[in-house]
Amino acid sequence: MITVERNPAKFKAGDTSKITVKFPIGHYRVPVYMRGKEVKIVRSLGRYINPEEEAFGKNAGNKLWYYLVSISQKDLWPDYKGVDEDLLEIEVFENWLETI
Amino acid sequence: MSTESLVKRLPNDIGGTECSEKIQMAEREILPWEKRIHALLEILDFHKIVNTEEKRRGIENLGTEMAGKLSYYERWVVSGANILLQKGILTPDDIAKKTKEVSDRYGIKL
Amino acid sequence: MSTNHNHDHDDHAAITHDELPGYYEILEISLRELLIEKGVITADELRRQIEAMDTRTPAVGAKLVVRAWLDPEFKKRLLADGVAASAEMGVISWDDTAFTVLEDTEDTHHLIVCTLCSCYPRSIIGLPPDWYKSKEYRSRAVREPRAVIAEFGTIIPENIQIIINDSTANQRYMVLPMRPAGTEHFNEEQLEAIVTRDTLIGVTLPRI
Repeated sequence: MITVERNPAKFKAGDTSKITVKFPIGHYRVPVYMRGKEVKIVRSLGRYINPEEEAFGKNAGNKLWYYLVSISQKDLWPDYKGVDEDLLEIEVFENWLETI
Repeated sequence: MSTESLVKRLPNDIGGTECSEKIQMAEREILPWEKRIHALLEILDFHKIVNTEEKRRGIENLGTEMAGKLSYYERWVVSGANILLQKGILTPDDIAKKTKEVSDRYGIKL
Repeated sequence: MSTNHNHDHDDHAAITHDELPGYYEILEISLRELLIEKGVITADELRRQIEAMDTRTPAVGAKLVVRAWLDPEFKKRLLADGVAASAEMGVISWDDTAFTVLEDTEDTHHLIVCTLCSCYPRSIIGLPPDWYKSKEYRSRAVREPRAVIAEFGTIIPENIQIIINDSTANQRYMVLPMRPAGTEHFNEEQLEAIVTRDTLIGVTLPRI
């Protein structure tokens, strides 16, 4: 019997992606400092209720894939004074990640 | 100055913003009422009556002035109250009558 | 409307300080009593939750770290699934937060922050310090982690990469620091004593 994943993850570890530039109001979990940045997918974290909906009372139902993504500190901050290899990791839901 | 940034950027979204102040390392013991409100909101989240994300949104929705002037747990208790009101679990009059009753109990005038 | 307050002695005994309650405490008392009266929660639940909160301390995190230092198989389990491994040590998970332990190595050091609020592995190691929730830490930790760590008295050498983790979802993180040299003869208690809360956040390293 063939089982079909009806809602497959769009990304996998090692992919690159870009965080969308968009401006929800009311509630969001992608800090402004990350908007529009190119990131690397570190790993999938599975699926969870979209926090933008959970914040308005959604406790169950369709879940969204989310990922641990990384970005080099020197790509994030033009004046970064640390070490070139320093990284930032952050969790981002799929509705914020573009295929590039 | 355009006000739209107040709408588009939540008051808690401060990662990477300019700050030249040193980390204030002084610590203080959590007050009993703060511990109680923390526990209360954990229970409400466990039962999905007020989930943690709703509580966060409630804090964000306080707006810049309240978010800036209220302390950490003061923001929690006001947010918790607002979400309970939004969901119709409590009414404004419930809170008005009860806070009056509680303050009378201590001989405090609200 | 019922005026049966069903006051447990503890509701008042819990207020141990001499000052009268301020506005926010009055609001807290009011919400609590209303929710109990309406049967939304029970006084008993609240008491048990406060007791559970009291069991969560940085010492629990220290025990996880030290066990990982002494038992390579446990370390593997801890890094693979923080929730399951901490359950082995008696930590009861009450919600669906995922607990991930981040291993420091010879070339990588981790630092944890929540820029948007104060996400922290409370259900394992208890409450975060006030500075962790402050605007100074949350704005600066992502931008200048080395300067922030230096304020805590620690310099991370330039040959060590720093990975800052900004918690924004339901993952909660704790650092597994490296075991410092010179502790080979330490017993468990001595090892646990050097794994302080601040070493679990990554702003400092265990010191002997």
